[in-house]
Amino acid sequence: MSTTHENKGFWHRFFFSLDHKDIGLQYLITTMFIAFFAGIFAMVFRIHLAFPDYHIPLFGIIDAKEYNILVTNHGLIMVLWLSMGILLATAGNYLIPTMLGTDDMAFPKLNKLSYWFFLLSVIILIISFFLPQKGFGGGWTLYPPLSVGDFGYNTPYKTFSDRFFSSNTFVLLAIALEFVALLMGGINFMVTLFNKRAKGMGLLQVPLLVWMIVIASILFMFSVGPLVAGTFMLLLDINAGTGFYDASRGGDPLLWEHLFWFFGHPEVYVILLPGLGILAEVITTNARKTLFGYKFILVLVLIATVLSLMVWAHHQFVAGVDPRAATVFGILTIIISLPFAGVILSFLATLWKSNLRLTLPMKWAMSAIVLFTILGGFTGLHLGAALFDMYAHDTSFVVAHFHYTLIPVVIFAGMAGFYHWFNKFSGRELNQFLGNLHFWLTFIFFNGFGIPLFLLGLAGQPRRYAGYDHIPYLSEGYLPLLREIATISAVILVLSQFIFIFNFIWSVYKGKKVTSNNPWQSTTLEWQTSSPPPHGNFEVYPVVYHGPYEYNRPGVDKDFLPQNQKI
Amino acid sequence: MKIFPENVSVYGDDIDFLFWLITIVAGLATLIVLFLVIYPVLTRKKHKAKENIYVKGEGFKQLKWIYLAIFVMAVADFSFLIIESDGWIKTQETLPEKDFHVAIVGKQWLWEIIYPGPDGKLYTSDDVKKFNTMIVPQDAVIHMDLTAYDVLHSVFIPHARFKFDCLPGRKITRWVEFTKSGEYPMVCAEMCGVGHSRMVGKVVVLPQEKFEKELAKIYKK
Repeated sequence: MSTTHENKGFWHRFFFSLDHKDIGLQYLITTMFIAFFAGIFAMVFRIHLAFPDYHIPLFGIIDAKEYNILVTNHGLIMVLWLSMGILLATAGNYLIPTMLGTDDMAFPKLNKLSYWFFLLSVIILIISFFLPQKGFGGGWTLYPPLSVGDFGYNTPYKTFSDRFFSSNTFVLLAIALEFVALLMGGINFMVTLFNKRAKGMGLLQVPLLVWMIVIASILFMFSVGPLVAGTFMLLLDINAGTGFYDASRGGDPLLWEHLFWFFGHPEVYVILLPGLGILAEVITTNARKTLFGYKFILVLVLIATVLSLMVWAHHQFVAGVDPRAATVFGILTIIISLPFAGVILSFLATLWKSNLRLTLPMKWAMSAIVLFTILGGFTGLHLGAALFDMYAHDTSFVVAHFHYTLIPVVIFAGMAGFYHWFNKFSGRELNQFLGNLHFWLTFIFFNGFGIPLFLLGLAGQPRRYAGYDHIPYLSEGYLPLLREIATISAVILVLSQFIFIFNFIWSVYKGKKVTSNNPWQSTTLEWQTSSPPPHGNFEVYPVVYHGPYEYNRPGVDKDFLPQNQKI
Repeated sequence: MKIFPENVSVYGDDIDFLFWLITIVAGLATLIVLFLVIYPVLTRKKHKAKENIYVKGEGFKQLKWIYLAIFVMAVADFSFLIIESDGWIKTQETLPEKDFHVAIVGKQWLWEIIYPGPDGKLYTSDDVKKFNTMIVPQDAVIHMDLTAYDVLHSVFIPHARFKFDCLPGRKITRWVEFTKSGEYPMVCAEMCGVGHSRMVGKVVVLPQEKFEKELAKIYKK
């Protein structure tokens, strides 16, 4: 399997390479490319909300239709492409084989195929902006009947080519292809974990991140089926004139909501679990302590995974489902918060009495925990209480809530991982000053954006509105000021990510070469090879003697004991 | 500085109370989380003995604090559920005897209000249709039949703490009772296309006598 093809050219490396590390970097770059646009979209529509008369460079003054397109695609890209592209595909591809001490994925060619499908899905998504509708604008949840017709003006498509070459069709195709890509990736992750561990590595000596990515992939497989079926029916509704979601012909729009959220809620945990995995690695390394409750966390996560398939209708408390069913879903929603509370508390117990090092990755990781728990998790209790959800549903409160669950996981935990492993995959060091600047700007202005949204939501501001100034109760008191604070913060938040992009590109080419293969003095296997690892990852394949987090073990001189080092 | 819009419905207080209750309990938990994060940062150079540091978190003895925290949280969570269930049953699962009946139909992009007409019954030939302004009596149970013509909509009356989706092909009845007369906005809370943000109507709540006069005017036209 490990055919040596060193010194590959650019084309070979970024289009045809079967090496999991190259594929991981391909995922990273593709995802960052598409997420760049999603960030710009967010900036543009936020400016429109607070300063509707301002001419935005390149966009001008956007109208309601363009606004809907920007909001919709911001959501779709961030949830489906960025979150899974970074936390599952990039982290999984780059880290699983290196952490398991093996040469590559179980199926390198399937892995390559998975990336090509991912790239194809991105291309098809981009094409959807150049069709007559100029992009899909029916909300990222794609609720029919709006998503069946011309979501802009409710004029039905006339000919087949109108229907097929419409943004609706292309967005759905892009989503379906992305799911294909991630399914292939997920199969690879699973098989690699179970069949290709280093000699001596038991299943309970596998770093938690690998487990989390694999459990997330399994959850993805369990939950995605109904949505693929639903997507197929929606494509037929658009293109073949069927009426699966058309009430006047015996269909039901609520059916889509069930199929969508049956995937959509587990999707949150598909994103969350790899994020927690990254946190486990970063926290143990920097706390110089063994992970508190490795098995405990695994058990909790498995319980939460099963529960996560049974909570979807809490997105539909006031959507027309039977209120008695809502009670059941409310109870399950509240119960699912308990295992995650256990996981977070285990992380906090890991920090307790530690000699922690406040490195840059650690700052990202600790703020991820704080923001996710306090403003993401606890507001989930508010929304899980169906009675309060009747008021808060589809208001900015919900928007703030899910940004506080996703951004700490995707951006904060993702960045913790990025700053942690950067010197491993590039062989160079990131600029610390720019890194700190990026962290503090992101931390401050993320809160500057999120907290006003909670207040706006409590004041009854519905979401997805292309402007509020014409509505009296939303344009009085401090509400316009809150929108301005949120907008300015969001703009700075997006702009400060350019510091990161600059730092990334500059450090890859000009950064200081690393002097050690294991600068954080970490125990897991990816740190026990050169930076970046050679093709095949290891000169000598490691033999594993210990669990993944042997820090400050009594009877050992140093404060860390690599997995492949005999005492 | 007020957080919520003024409450004008009979069940609004239950909803506001639930919010503050959860916020206060979550606020206490927040303090604990912040302490558990900040304290280790402040004392990070103090711990030297490896035996103190090397704790694997296995077995009941080591995990007891976490079990206790989860137990406390479960108790708090289920108390929220029990406290809210009364309100949920009241607002969603029961329909008190009606004083006035009206249908709200979501349509791109306006609210169609159907009044029962002089015979007092909906869905008969003398029904009267109006747009965007719904007049209702004060201190009366109002049944609202919610449905939609084209795509999903959602009736949201922030001051009444009321929200429910309007679906094509379904007629769902929910109720509301206003305690104070005045004009209150009624907005759409479900993405419904380009005019979504312009789908703003209002509810005019009038004292009983004034309401009957206004209603008679509507029926005359």
